[in-house]
Amino acid sequence: MTPVSDRLLSVAPSPAFWVAVFAYTAAAAALLVVLGGHARLRPLAVALVGVAFVAHGTDIGWRGTLHVHPAQSVREALGFLSFIITGGYLLASTRYRLTLGGAAVMPVSLVLLVVARLTPAGTAPEDLSSLGRIHISLATIGVGVFALASALSMIYLIEERALRRKRFDTIAFKDKGAPLEALDRLSHRLIWIGFPIFTAALVLGAIWVSKLGESLDRPEYPLAGVTWIFYAALLVVRQVYGWRGRRAARLTLAGFAAALIVLFLYLVRRMAG
Amino acid sequence: MTELFVVGISWRTAPVAVREKLAFRDEELAGTLQAMTAGLPVAEALLVSTCNRVEVYGVARSGSDATGPVRTFLAARRGLAPTDVADVLYDHRGGAAVRHVFSVASALDSLVLGEAQILGQLKAAYGVAATAGTSGPLLGRCLERAFGVAKRVRTETAIARGAANISTVAVDLAKRVFGNLTGKSVLVIGAGKMSTLAARHLYASGAQRIVVTNRSPEKAEALAAEIDGIARPWAELERLLVEADVVISSTGAREPILTRGLFKRVTKARRWRQLVVIDIAVPRDAEPAIGELDGVYVFDIDDLEKVVAANLAERAKAAEHAARIVEHEAGQFEHWLRTQGVVPTIRALRERFARVAETELQKTLDQLARKDHTPAQQREAVQRLVQLVVNKLLHQPTAALREAPPDEAGMRAEILCQLFDLSPVEAADPTGRAEPGDPGDSGDSGDPGDPGDSDEPPEAQQALDRALAEPAPPERKAAT
Repeated sequence: MTPVSDRLLSVAPSPAFWVAVFAYTAAAAALLVVLGGHARLRPLAVALVGVAFVAHGTDIGWRGTLHVHPAQSVREALGFLSFIITGGYLLASTRYRLTLGGAAVMPVSLVLLVVARLTPAGTAPEDLSSLGRIHISLATIGVGVFALASALSMIYLIEERALRRKRFDTIAFKDKGAPLEALDRLSHRLIWIGFPIFTAALVLGAIWVSKLGESLDRPEYPLAGVTWIFYAALLVVRQVYGWRGRRAARLTLAGFAAALIVLFLYLVRRMAG
Repeated sequence: MTELFVVGISWRTAPVAVREKLAFRDEELAGTLQAMTAGLPVAEALLVSTCNRVEVYGVARSGSDATGPVRTFLAARRGLAPTDVADVLYDHRGGAAVRHVFSVASALDSLVLGEAQILGQLKAAYGVAATAGTSGPLLGRCLERAFGVAKRVRTETAIARGAANISTVAVDLAKRVFGNLTGKSVLVIGAGKMSTLAARHLYASGAQRIVVTNRSPEKAEALAAEIDGIARPWAELERLLVEADVVISSTGAREPILTRGLFKRVTKARRWRQLVVIDIAVPRDAEPAIGELDGVYVFDIDDLEKVVAANLAERAKAAEHAARIVEHEAGQFEHWLRTQGVVPTIRALRERFARVAETELQKTLDQLARKDHTPAQQREAVQRLVQLVVNKLLHQPTAALREAPPDEAGMRAEILCQLFDLSPVEAADPTGRAEPGDPGDSGDSGDPGDPGDSDEPPEAQQALDRALAEPAPPERKAAT
């Protein structure tokens, strides 16, 4: 019999995964159609996002019954991350019209999910302590919240650009998405939520690594620090210097880009073994 | 048959110089309508007179044409010769009239496509006609349906979406930034008419306070009083800009007053809070460069016009969909109209049949009551009754068919076949069949071929027997 960890890493996706993949694709397509002017399809599009969310959650739960923890590896965490992003979008779209955001977020969720399930599993991870699990969980949630904030900032920049350049015939203008002020405020709040979670994840990660006695000279570690510094700086300039809008949105995206690079490096390292 | 009609003039056919000659004041409407229904072959009438159209919607009296007389009447009523307005007046009848009324109510015929004002005006005109007693069931039904169609068009199409005038566009743009204008403060610089209008719209959309400033304090005071705002001295401009969320500027200044230098200070003091500047002055009050500053969104008159044009283009696209809805609804209404046309006939037919049956039944009952009858006699009496009723009912149609002029006989026979679902296959030799039959049975010339008919008598006979077997004893008891 293969060791438990090896078997778990190669667990195949459940049927729910395929439902989720289909629903994500259909939702993205439906949102594009809504953007194209068929506003009546909006409820259908949101319903498809809901289906994707439920199917995705089912797949995670199904893996759970096979002892695959959503935070046991970066690969699993990516799937969990996209689940958080979809859930956050679903929640936000109950209050605002985020068609444009959805058309951007759904493909991201889809790609993350597919990467998480269909890439080679690589070798089994080191014995995962509960410290490691908590670290990965917190980091995933933190990055997930940052991802949502970044999506909002991205929409902010697109909408703002259309408004500032007076591109009244573009989709960004015609869609009448969420107002700029609300996008800015929401993104700011999310970073307030994500930052302490991410900070805790970083501290626990440092403790974990030092406990394992690994060297600290991997590029992921300083980059994770850079991400933290971006968001810390963002909160400071927002709070102290009253930054907002365009500048704050750009800084949010820069921080998220750093976080994505960290995730990417982890994944490559794991796949390479 | 009564028929709906429309006679009118609108922005499509005539300039305002002509339209105004035919316009009616509100207080003239009732009298005009009453004169129309009293003196013309018009059974029901409604008159709508707005700045863009003067139209009569009416129902012509049975069999007469009303549009000609109404044209003459309208011209005469305004002291014009009918020939003066012959070219600009249009008329529609029947289905076209229904379509027109539905289109007008749905704002498809409005100068500004989708402009909902006309619906209110139509409702008011309908109210006037109802009060004047010139509105009737047909016109009422048509207008009620038109209001329903208008609602459908508004909700199902984008015809009324997107602001179609500059001041609503200003509000719309401010909402793009702030979402909700509740609690926002508006600064009005200068005292142009457009800025007053825009400020009013912003206020109606929830803006909390309106501050007015002007080089001349008197003008600022006057405008502030007019729009419920607060007048502030011109010298405070920079501070006012820091406090405002939306600025509407329309001064007559030759040089820009909202300069980049001023706004650099202002945006910093505001900590880059979003500021929407609507500059409707020509020459412009705001330097375009301030639009590059963080948090500042500047829109000049051209931008606003561009949005209006884009929205109107969207409305024009939606108009096709709206026209399909109107077409469909008008079709349904016409169908309803047609069924309404035959209702009196149906009623008369049923009454006639009921009367014949009632008369004969009464005769038979009287006969039976006079003396004792054996069950066999009773049966015979009822049989006779049924035959008599059938004969009486069929007498007239049969006669009409027989005595029809040769060119109409075929058509009448065909209609009868359709109405009674007959298929007279053996009717090729009708006389041969008719001769041996009961001479009293005059209704057989169309019937004998019908297989359904030949099946029925035995069944009917059985039912009759059953029916007679039971009520017979009590009947006899009552007689004794």
